[in-house]
Amino acid sequence: MIDALIYGALILLLIATAIGMARTRSLFAVVALGGIYSFLMALALLVLDAVDVSMTEASVGAGISTVLLLGTLYLTRLHETLPIRLSPAPLAMSVITGLALLYGVVHLPPFGDPSTPMHRHVAPRYLEDVVRETGVPNAVTAVLASYRGYDTLGETTVIFTAGIGVLLLLRRRRRQPSDGKDKAGR
Amino acid sequence: MSLIVDTASWLLILAGGFFCIAGAFGILRFPDLYTRMHAAGVLDPFGVSLILAGLMLQAGLTLVTVKLAILILFLGLTSPVACHALGRAARHRRLKPLLAAKEDR
Amino acid sequence: MMHREAIPRVVVKLLIPFLLLYALYVQFHGELGPGGGFQAGVIVATAVILYGLIFGLAEAKRIVPPRLIEVLVPLGVVIYAGVGFAGLLAGGNYLDYFVLDPDPVHGQERGIFWVEVGVLVTVSSTMTAIYYAFSGRGR
Repeated sequence: MIDALIYGALILLLIATAIGMARTRSLFAVVALGGIYSFLMALALLVLDAVDVSMTEASVGAGISTVLLLGTLYLTRLHETLPIRLSPAPLAMSVITGLALLYGVVHLPPFGDPSTPMHRHVAPRYLEDVVRETGVPNAVTAVLASYRGYDTLGETTVIFTAGIGVLLLLRRRRRQPSDGKDKAGR
Repeated sequence: MSLIVDTASWLLILAGGFFCIAGAFGILRFPDLYTRMHAAGVLDPFGVSLILAGLMLQAGLTLVTVKLAILILFLGLTSPVACHALGRAARHRRLKPLLAAKEDR
Repeated sequence: MMHREAIPRVVVKLLIPFLLLYALYVQFHGELGPGGGFQAGVIVATAVILYGLIFGLAEAKRIVPPRLIEVLVPLGVVIYAGVGFAGLLAGGNYLDYFVLDPDPVHGQERGIFWVEVGVLVTVSSTMTAIYYAFSGRGR
């Protein structure tokens, strides 16, 4: 009963924040509401017992992302420009996708049910053998770093690609007066 | 003995909750940036610290109590500084308080 | 503007060592509780960004130079892939940890430790690089 109240309150706050973000025209308010949305998402993940993900969401979403978005705002304007023509196609697309997702969610098995196929394949083996095989009590870290190490290598490569993309595109190199034909044309 | 500890922790948590609600109400209803920051400056150190103190009493004498005490210390150190920095930034941008005197810049 | 104000300077100078210590705590306790490389990398980047906000971008670039960041961004991926190659050289498949040590459980712990260090290095240096790139192009 208390659980249902907490879940309901969190969902209502998330919806209210999302509607606020979509309707307001001041980009500063959008960034602040984005930080609030990330924080509420971290709370929701905490209530669902996913502590690692909640901590990552709180530090990355409500921390670094807000600071970097404010840094981006410093470089552009502070108010969103209105579109010239309002077209109904994006709204129809979002509504259709949302309804399809809701229809799919209704038919999912109950949350945390141990008899679903997802929880009977490798998950019991990971949970039972993690201390014996890896010596690490935190099953999330063991799965992330050892059992599914390739995926984490891919994630690290994605972050690395984002980093070099930003460095290539946005770093300002001091223009040398003597060299006329720079390789990047700058 | 445990009844006294329970009652004290309940009182602290309720007091912290009251300060949090009062601070949130103040942020919504105060007319000016500076007065709203005063409400926010009350909410973070007082409200959350009282709730954490109530939780400390619930946890007894374990490592969790020490971690909560360190949390209260850091919260009391950082959140007034954040409010101060916000106020200085607003002053730097020439935002005048509502009740400013005529010669106030 | 903020580097002439006394109160933020003093408090930030007090707090940054604790931020870095907390980042190391989260990194090494990722095996016992919530934590790990991603969160610790973000907290290290937060410490550098806080220093840059209060003391000015030039000061932050003096302490953590952009050249070092350019070296660190790929270094994390190299460490991660290097652990994989160490598994190959020690006789197993790529990214096998249990061959890294005579005792397989100890080999797993060693592999997980170095892999998390690689993640920490890449995440922290990428966030710092993005901050340097954005705030270096001021109006």
